Amino acid sequence: MPVRSSRRRTALSALALTAVTAIGLGGCSSDTSGGDGGGEPEPATITFAASTLGDPGRGPGLEALIEEYNSSQDVVTVEPASVPYPTFGQTVLTQMGGGEGPDLVRFDMPEFSAAAASGLLEPLGDKIDAEELDLIPGPDEYMSVDGERYGVIFEASNYGMFYNADLIPEPPTTFEEFVDVAKSTTSGDTYGLAFRHLQAEEPGVWQDIFNYVLGFGGNWSDGEKLTLNSPEVVEGLEAYQELYDANVIPKGTDAATFRKMFATGKVGMELNNGGYVTATVAANPDLNFSVARIPFPEQKQGALLAPIVINANSEHKDAALDFINWMLEPEQQVSLQEVLGASSVATPTERSAESLEQYPFLPVLDELTESGVPQIVVGFGAQTPEIRTIVVSEVLAALQGQQDMQTAMDNAQEQAEELVGQ
Amino acid sequence: MTRTHRLGVTARMIAVLVVLGLAVFPVYWMLVTALTSDEALFGGGLTLLPDLSRLGVFGDALQDGEVVRWLLNSLIIASGTTVLSIALGVPLAYALSRFRFAGKAALGLALLFTQMLPEALLVVPLFAIFRRVDLLNSLHGLVLANTAFVLPVVALILKGAIDGVPRELDEATRVDGGRPPTVLLRVILPLIGPSIAAAAVIAFFHAWNEYVFAVTFIFDKSLQPASVGVAGFIGEQDTSIQSIMSVAVLFTLPAVAFYLFAQKYVVGGMTAGAVKG
Repeated sequence: MPVRSSRRRTALSALALTAVTAIGLGGCSSDTSGGDGGGEPEPATITFAASTLGDPGRGPGLEALIEEYNSSQDVVTVEPASVPYPTFGQTVLTQMGGGEGPDLVRFDMPEFSAAAASGLLEPLGDKIDAEELDLIPGPDEYMSVDGERYGVIFEASNYGMFYNADLIPEPPTTFEEFVDVAKSTTSGDTYGLAFRHLQAEEPGVWQDIFNYVLGFGGNWSDGEKLTLNSPEVVEGLEAYQELYDANVIPKGTDAATFRKMFATGKVGMELNNGGYVTATVAANPDLNFSVARIPFPEQKQGALLAPIVINANSEHKDAALDFINWMLEPEQQVSLQEVLGASSVATPTERSAESLEQYPFLPVLDELTESGVPQIVVGFGAQTPEIRTIVVSEVLAALQGQQDMQTAMDNAQEQAEELVGQ
Repeated sequence: MTRTHRLGVTARMIAVLVVLGLAVFPVYWMLVTALTSDEALFGGGLTLLPDLSRLGVFGDALQDGEVVRWLLNSLIIASGTTVLSIALGVPLAYALSRFRFAGKAALGLALLFTQMLPEALLVVPLFAIFRRVDLLNSLHGLVLANTAFVLPVVALILKGAIDGVPRELDEATRVDGGRPPTVLLRVILPLIGPSIAAAAVIAFFHAWNEYVFAVTFIFDKSLQPASVGVAGFIGEQDTSIQSIMSVAVLFTLPAVAFYLFAQKYVVGGMTAGAVKG
């Protein structure tokens, strides 16, 4: 088992190294031809890559929105680029680092930070006026790296506790209750809880443990120094491990499987972001589920911020900016929010009466915006993907009993400090 | 046949069937999963038998032509890789086996060394080279990338096979005026047919399953091979397990067909001349 784990880690390190090397190459290969994104677009066909395009629930809606843009004018045609979700970040960063890649990309925060710091993204500071567009300030402040704007929020989604209201009529309000409910709901082929715990889903594991770390008062850094082995971080991760050891999750199953299990009433609770609402309803429209705050000691949780960016290599930056501007118009923002489900978008958008009737818990998720934290290591945004690899590997080794959590995080701290040169 | 002997044969047959069952079960389970509803899959109604009333999932998978296009692209890439790696691997193996030249040992070691590098490490430098020579976003580019990766394995397999051919046969041909190309084509190639078939299977399977180069080097949806297309079914929030499994079943069929085709030559070559007529 340790040998397999070690091989797996070596392979993942190779993947991480690949992406990092690609970023390094890309740092000096920016192509500024084809407009600077500040003028009128010339006729062009551009590509837009987003991992959400592959979602059975949200993908078709997003494609319809893109089609709406295409039919709204006859100058620019946007084509969805098909990049599979499991290797989305690595693939797109490698392409961009090599001087190619899609014109428009919807990134997750770790990859956004890394790409921006490496000069792979087109600066948008003089092209996007936050005040004029009425961009929501909280999430928007993370769209700048080293004082320069590189993206606009495409999707902002807070993490809440999804629960099956038939299995769990009263949602837990404390961590102790959370553990008790998870245990009492687990019976036969039904599990009280599900979360990601496989190395193959490294970005997903990172998203999941983020909520435990924040919820127990920890953070990966204080903005200047890494705090991976601080008592609060370790306490949060030990809570994650406690649930793993309690056998209340379907061990060995990936997110695709346990989300289907949630949709079919075989999982009681899951911590997930608002984007999950549409996917769950698409999988089972009859599921009686709701969303509540995550019942951890601290009212802080992860927020999925997904910026839309323009590839610095794009030969059609004006066309790409035209699509972004169209998407930021109030009408399109409402449409986008409808497609994304319980997520928020770049601008304040009223939930429709139909949405609120269909999803009465939407205000719960919306209210979490203030306490939502993007899933990056603050102060080390560009190195987040590599720190993530280190942390997840060590945490999973602890889950498998190879070390205790304190040792795991001491190891992670040492490796990460070496990485960032502290 | 004694009773003990009969029991021994029966035990061996059972053992073979068990091993076969273990090998085939994952494919069978893909088929069962493809034909099972979500409710049955996760709701305790799962059976070992496929629900044949749901065979329509395969029709749905093939309906828009996208899956057929993926499979065709995979076929082009895998066939091209197989032909090119064998075409390049045979003379390389022949040279390594039969000739003395400066750096021969180093070349042999270099072939082994290339196998120690994961694709993930090669993808960045290859991407830069392919961009420079305009090989990105093309099926022939992927054929070249896969050939570069699998050629050392093919060459080493074939070298081992050529090493086993008696040098006296080469010398006899040379006495008759045959030059090295003639020796290779007329004498050695017919004798190493089974090894060529085995190497072809390895090259074909490598290219058929290859993902990292394909997902990185191909931007155009219409040029994607099936390995990338299948991965596209895995969504960020939701995944259609039945769609993945039905396409995965279709994905395995051409590879199995190729193996059955090549297997004939492997076995045929091994037994050729075994019985003197």
